[in-house]
Amino acid sequence: MDHSKKLKTQVYGQIAFGLLAVGAVSVGLWYILFEQMDLDSIVALILAFAGIIGFALVLGELLTRVVLEPIQTLTNAILHVAPNHENAPSSPPNLDAVRIGRELVSSMALQIYQMASHESAKEVETDSRRESIIQAVNVVNHLPLPLFVLNSERQITNASESGIAYVGLESGKLFGQPLEDTIRLEFPSEKTLSSWIDECQKNKVTSTRLWERVRVTLPDQSMKQCDISAHYNRDNPSGAEFIITFFDRTERYSQDDESLGFVALAVHELRTPLTMLRGYIEVLEDELADSVDEEMRDFMHKMNVAAAQLTIFVNNILNVARIEQNQLMMNLTEADWSKTINSVLDDMDVRAKINGITIERNIDKDIPTVGIDNISIYEVVANLIDNAIKYSKGSEKIIVSSRVGDNGLIETTVQDFGIGMPTSVTTNLFEKFYRNHRTRGKAAGTGLGLYLIKSIISAHGGQVWVNSKEGEGSTFGFSVVPYSQLTDEQKQGDGKDIIRQSHGWVKNHSMYRR
Amino acid sequence: MDESVNPQPNRKVLIIEDEYFISELYVRALEKAGYEVVLAIDGKDGFDKALSDAFDIILLDIMVPTMTGTEILERLRERSPAIKAKIIIITNLEQGEENKQKIEQQADGYIIKAEITPKQLVGFLNNIK
Repeated sequence: MDHSKKLKTQVYGQIAFGLLAVGAVSVGLWYILFEQMDLDSIVALILAFAGIIGFALVLGELLTRVVLEPIQTLTNAILHVAPNHENAPSSPPNLDAVRIGRELVSSMALQIYQMASHESAKEVETDSRRESIIQAVNVVNHLPLPLFVLNSERQITNASESGIAYVGLESGKLFGQPLEDTIRLEFPSEKTLSSWIDECQKNKVTSTRLWERVRVTLPDQSMKQCDISAHYNRDNPSGAEFIITFFDRTERYSQDDESLGFVALAVHELRTPLTMLRGYIEVLEDELADSVDEEMRDFMHKMNVAAAQLTIFVNNILNVARIEQNQLMMNLTEADWSKTINSVLDDMDVRAKINGITIERNIDKDIPTVGIDNISIYEVVANLIDNAIKYSKGSEKIIVSSRVGDNGLIETTVQDFGIGMPTSVTTNLFEKFYRNHRTRGKAAGTGLGLYLIKSIISAHGGQVWVNSKEGEGSTFGFSVVPYSQLTDEQKQGDGKDIIRQSHGWVKNHSMYRR
Repeated sequence: MDESVNPQPNRKVLIIEDEYFISELYVRALEKAGYEVVLAIDGKDGFDKALSDAFDIILLDIMVPTMTGTEILERLRERSPAIKAKIIIITNLEQGEENKQKIEQQADGYIIKAEITPKQLVGFLNNIK
C-alpha cells in the first residue's frame, strides 16, 4: 500500500537525519575543541564525547516522539473505542497532530472505528441497517476532521460534526445528496474520486486512495485546497461503503499560489514590452514594406517571428508553473479539428517560411468533432512545430497529418526530416527539463515544451508518443478524444456562452452570429 | 475576416490603459479603422468617462492607477447595469481563480495583450456586436 511506503520513507528520513546530525555535531565539536581551542587531546576527546552523548540523547528523544506518534495515535484510537477500558481516553486521537504517516494512520484509525461500529452493532442485536448507521454516527462524529460517509449511490449518508461545519449546510440539506453535487472537486489528473469509485465498485473489496492538491468549492462558493483520502469497504455492515476524509491544506498550498503569483508578475513584466514590440513591428511591416528593399522586409519578418516565439515561451513558463500547482484548468468544448489545426498552422507558416521550411498539411476531411481546450491545444501544436523547425537543420519540410486512429481517437503527427535522435533518449523526452545532451548547445530550448504537451494532452484524455531515427528526423504524435466520447463530467467544464481562443475569450452573445 | 474595415462606422471606443506605448498603438490602429477613440490613462478618470455611457466598446486594462480594472468593472455593473458598451478586459496579468470567475461573470470579453497585435485587436472588435 502506498501509505505504508510513504511512512517507511518518512521514518527512514528521520533516522538518516538523526545520524547525519550526530555526525555533523561530532565533527563540529572536534574541530572547535581540538583545532580552535587547542585543548589537550585527552580533555578534548572526553569533552567531545560528553557533548555528543548529550546531543544524541536529546535528538533521540525528539525523533522517537515523532516516529512513535503514529503508533501512539492508533493505540489511543483502539483504547478510545474499547468498551469499559479503564485508561480509555474520552476523546478520539487528533489525527491532524500526527507529523509522519498521517495518511496511513487515518486510514487505520477509520478501520478501527469501522470495526468498532460493526461490533457494537452486533451487541445491539438489531441488524437493521439504520441501527448500525446510528452507531457509526456516534463514532464518526467525534473525529476532528471533515469526514463524509457515502453509500453505494454516492449519496452522503453521514458526516462528522466538523464535516457538517466545513460544508456549512444543515445536515438535513446535506444527507441524501450526492457528495459531488454539494461540493465541487477538481482533481490534478483524470484519476478522480468518481473514477476511483467506479473502479472500486467494479472489482474491489477494499481499497484506499489519497489525492493531493484537490481544489474544493464549497456550497458558499468559497474555495479550499485539500488532500483527500478515501476508503472503500464493500462489506461494511453499516452500509457505509465509502469514507472520504478531507485534510484542509488551503493555507499551505496558498503559499505555493503566491509563488505562482510571482511567476504571474514576472510574466506580466515580460509581456508588456512584448506587446509593444509586436505592435511596432506590425506597424513597420505594414507601412514600411513598400519603401524598403527585400532584405529589410526579410529582417522585419524575422523580428516578427522572434517576438511570436518569445510569446510562446513566456506562456510555457506560466503553464508549467500552473501544472506544478494543479492550476492548469481545461475547458473542453466541441471543436472542428481540421479548422482548429489549420488555424494554428496558418500562424506557424510564417515562422517556418522564415527558416526556409514549408509545412505540408495532410489533414483528413472526415474527422468527427473533438473535445478540446482551444488555448492549450494551440500551445501543443505551436510547441511541436517550433521544435520541428528547431531540429530541422537543413531539411525543407515538415509534414503535419491528422486522422482517426484505430482506437477511435483523433491522432495528429508532426514529422520533421532533421537531426533525429537515438532511441536511448526518446524514452525520457517528455520529462520536465529533459534535453538530449547531444543537441544541447546545438539548438536552443528549455525542455519545458514537451513536458507541457504531455500534461495538456493527458488532461484531454489523449496520449503522446515519439518515433525518431538519428540523422533521419523525428515524428511526434498526440491524440485527442472525439467530443461524443467525453463524459458529461468533462463537458461540464465550461459555460456554453464563452468562446475561447488562443488570445482570450469573448461571450457568445457579444459576437455576430454568422 | 477583413481586419481593416470597420463594419459599423462611427463606433466609439473608450480605452482605459496607462502604458503609453500600448495605448499609442491601439489608438492609432483603431482610428485608422474608423473608430472614434477616447483614452483614459487613469482608473478613476476612466470610470467617470465610462459612466457617461457614450461608448460602444470599453477596453479596460486591469493594472491601472487609482482604481483597478476589476474595481471599475464591478462598480460599472453596479452603478450602471444597463450600460450599452461591451466591456472587454485587456491585460497581460494572469488572474487568480477568484478574479477570473468574477471577470467571466461581468465582462463581455478578455484579451491577453501580448497574444494579439493592434490589427488583430481591430479584427476582434469588428466582430463584436
